[in-house]
Amino acid sequence: MSKGYTGSRFWRFALPLMAGLISFWTPPLQAAEKLTGKDLVNEHCADCHKAVDGGGLGRISEARRTPEGWDMTVARMTLIHGTKLTSAERQAIVKYLADTMGLAPEEAQPWRYALDHNPEAADFLENKLVGETCARCHSYARIALQRRTQEDWLRLSHFHVGQFTTVELQNNLRSVNWWEIASKEIPKLLVKHYPLNSEAWTKWQQQPKMNPAGSWRIAGHRPGWGDYEGTLTVTEKQADEYALNLELRYAGGKTQKGSGNAIVYTGYEWRGTVMQGDEAVQQVFTLSDGGNRMQGRWFIKDTDALGGELRGAKVGGKAEILAVTPGFVKAGEKQQITISGVGLNGDVSIDGGVSVSRVVSSSPDKIVVEVQTSAASTKGLHAVQVGTTAAKNALNVYQQIDSVRVLPDPGLSRVGASGGKIPLVPIQFEAVAYSTGEDGKPGTKDDVRIGVVPAQWSLDNLNASAAAMKDLRFAGTIDAASGLFTPGAAGPNKQRKFGTNNFGELKAIATVEDGKRKVKGSAPFIVTAQRWNDPPIR
Amino acid sequence: MNIMKLMTSAFWRRARWAALATVFAVAASGAVAKEYLLTSLHSNTLVLVDAKARKVEKTYPLPSAPGNTPATVVPSPDGKVAYVLHNRWETVSGIDLDSGKEVFRADLSQKGLRAKSTFAFDVSPDGKEIAIFVLPVKLLSGEYQVQDTYIAVFDTSAGLAAKPIRTFPAPRRTTLMAYSPDGSRLYVMSWDIIVMDPKDGRVIGKHLVRHWKRKNFGEPDTLAVWPLWGASNVYTFPYGAPRTDRKPDAPDAMKSGIYTLDLATDKSSYKEFENSSVVLFSAAINPVRRKEAYSVYTTLSKIDINKGKLLKRLDLEQTYYVVQVSKDGKELYLGGAGSTIAIYDTATLKRLGTIQLPGGADQATATMRYFTR
Repeated sequence: MSKGYTGSRFWRFALPLMAGLISFWTPPLQAAEKLTGKDLVNEHCADCHKAVDGGGLGRISEARRTPEGWDMTVARMTLIHGTKLTSAERQAIVKYLADTMGLAPEEAQPWRYALDHNPEAADFLENKLVGETCARCHSYARIALQRRTQEDWLRLSHFHVGQFTTVELQNNLRSVNWWEIASKEIPKLLVKHYPLNSEAWTKWQQQPKMNPAGSWRIAGHRPGWGDYEGTLTVTEKQADEYALNLELRYAGGKTQKGSGNAIVYTGYEWRGTVMQGDEAVQQVFTLSDGGNRMQGRWFIKDTDALGGELRGAKVGGKAEILAVTPGFVKAGEKQQITISGVGLNGDVSIDGGVSVSRVVSSSPDKIVVEVQTSAASTKGLHAVQVGTTAAKNALNVYQQIDSVRVLPDPGLSRVGASGGKIPLVPIQFEAVAYSTGEDGKPGTKDDVRIGVVPAQWSLDNLNASAAAMKDLRFAGTIDAASGLFTPGAAGPNKQRKFGTNNFGELKAIATVEDGKRKVKGSAPFIVTAQRWNDPPIR
Repeated sequence: MNIMKLMTSAFWRRARWAALATVFAVAASGAVAKEYLLTSLHSNTLVLVDAKARKVEKTYPLPSAPGNTPATVVPSPDGKVAYVLHNRWETVSGIDLDSGKEVFRADLSQKGLRAKSTFAFDVSPDGKEIAIFVLPVKLLSGEYQVQDTYIAVFDTSAGLAAKPIRTFPAPRRTTLMAYSPDGSRLYVMSWDIIVMDPKDGRVIGKHLVRHWKRKNFGEPDTLAVWPLWGASNVYTFPYGAPRTDRKPDAPDAMKSGIYTLDLATDKSSYKEFENSSVVLFSAAINPVRRKEAYSVYTTLSKIDINKGKLLKRLDLEQTYYVVQVSKDGKELYLGGAGSTIAIYDTATLKRLGTIQLPGGADQATATMRYFTR
């Protein structure tokens, strides 16, 4: 029988509206309205997901996921299976599921790049057959950020054929008996690598809750803008929900102030949304060390290729050096460096024949000193020490720049915009200087990273077929000073051979000046099609 | 009288005239048969094109919700009905090309079962039966359950609620089916081409594709989803085959070839004609000069399949997925992908004409079929 208008679903939607209309004579109905995530799961999911032995609902209690993973599942239920949820209800359900059926920090760690959308990361294929069978269409990380029973891994294979009709016809999948592999071999491998129950998760659930409220020192690096240091204030609004205020001061002189909100899922998965200067930014961080440290990547909403890394330490926790900027000095030269951290107290010392010639300023969170090196200073990485607090490998004394590597390598850009709904995907290139290691050869494993250096940027066709297609002319442009690549417009281009899109295969070339020498480096990249379907985990 | 009715009656007058003409002239020559192209658009529209007049003759809205890109199109042997896979690949409808009415409908899905066809269906040469490959998935509470794939045979006179008159197992990954001209064999293209007796699904033969055994060659890759044998009755598709005796970066590490299966004689053949250098999506054989094959994507290639030689290649102004050859072997019709049909001379590969399809809608993966009536 239909519940009709007397059913509880109707009233849950109707009450907030009515509360607005009748609030002049009645107290707010919020208390009665507020359902917990658990209540909402039972209310909205139990019609299809029947209770299973041992408690919980079918499928839901047989899998663990990240907050993004649960949100993708809940979103699919609303898009395809008719589940009706307000955004607050969706949020409450995802929070409940991520808290109770999440991943322990070490379980998510190897695949965090899929959560924070780090454009420099390469997908980590832990198992070859799983990679070949599954990671042709999506990242391996998308799988490895889930935990399931063997039965539920098998159901996931069934789901793929049911939802994606052409899965068995895809390139490299059609050449094998895909369904046989996906239904027989893959669930066994997946439960071995990514089982529902794990010691890590059991232990994590017993950990005391972390509260990040307080004042923080932050430091990090934004490709294209450079290193920054700054402050973050976290104020608790309610359990696991926080208000933020932050300030990022870039080494180049720019400052971004911002404010926003964050939610902590699974006890450590920090997800923030802030207006940072005039940029809408999303934060994907982890909390650790009892809530005294945070780390992760933030990126611009809708343009996640642009963003920065962040490290944070809570003021009042143990003393720590967060960053030494710049982290390199040429042998024989004098240079000012900034040490950012918390609880900094004492003299600055650097080993290997590097002396501190002058203290420019000093406070517990920031010390600026002038360092003096000589030709005889030990080349390579040095520890920087403030009193008893040390940062290993924080300062590199180099002889010369022997090679330049361009990141990301390889890069991936996507056409977009030009009146369409899909934003373009740019690439922010960076030039990283290296000195040769003991083998004296550049480009080998023992090269020593000096750091990110300014460069003059240019583009070229990657290969002969790119040249024949004139990719250099059509696929996009790079800003010579900043290294920001912007792809061409989306859609067929009548000016091109075959009237094709502005896709291409190019390389970004960095020319770095080291005194009178010029050192070049390059990275290949492609400009390809829009992602028409762009989930939080790709 | 509204415009639609005017158009319909004009069409009827022409159709009657054509039918009469056929009756009188058929003994002397088949030349009066009119040549048509049938294609479908992303806008859920079936399109009938007069090939020689280079114009769209009629369009038919398909009976399903908008946005459900139609795929395979199969004209009935008498050219009166167009069978189309549409409705998210869950329905095959027969559209009467004269009245525009839906005269046949097989809905593959049922309550609790999602069933789709991946491009593969064909109509028997006598026009009485239609065989459809079905990929079924049970929709259970909280989960899906993949079922074995099968072929369902329907009676084309069953109307709008057609139910299978028989079913038999078929391999997964089937993308194409074809009856032999005498109706005694049903070819099922999967990893290999399985030959079945259409009466009971008994496997009566096999043409190896993936599992071919060839010295210095690995398994070929192909995605043959377009039924393009046309007047030649030779089912033709391009493939890429890796050489196992070459380093992966050698120029001839991957060879492109043309695979043919003569639906009338049950003979198959394949031959490489070049080091893989361009993408080839589909191919067709000239029904008159039967050693000539044509293949398309962003280029149009003419290939001697006996000698394994590329005779000519030209760049196209846009992508085409599908190529068809006229019955007299003189004209090529390029369709699929965008909203254009391009016409070329088979001898010179000179462009003869262009037909713009209505509304600028894409044909996407739809099959463009050539037929005469």
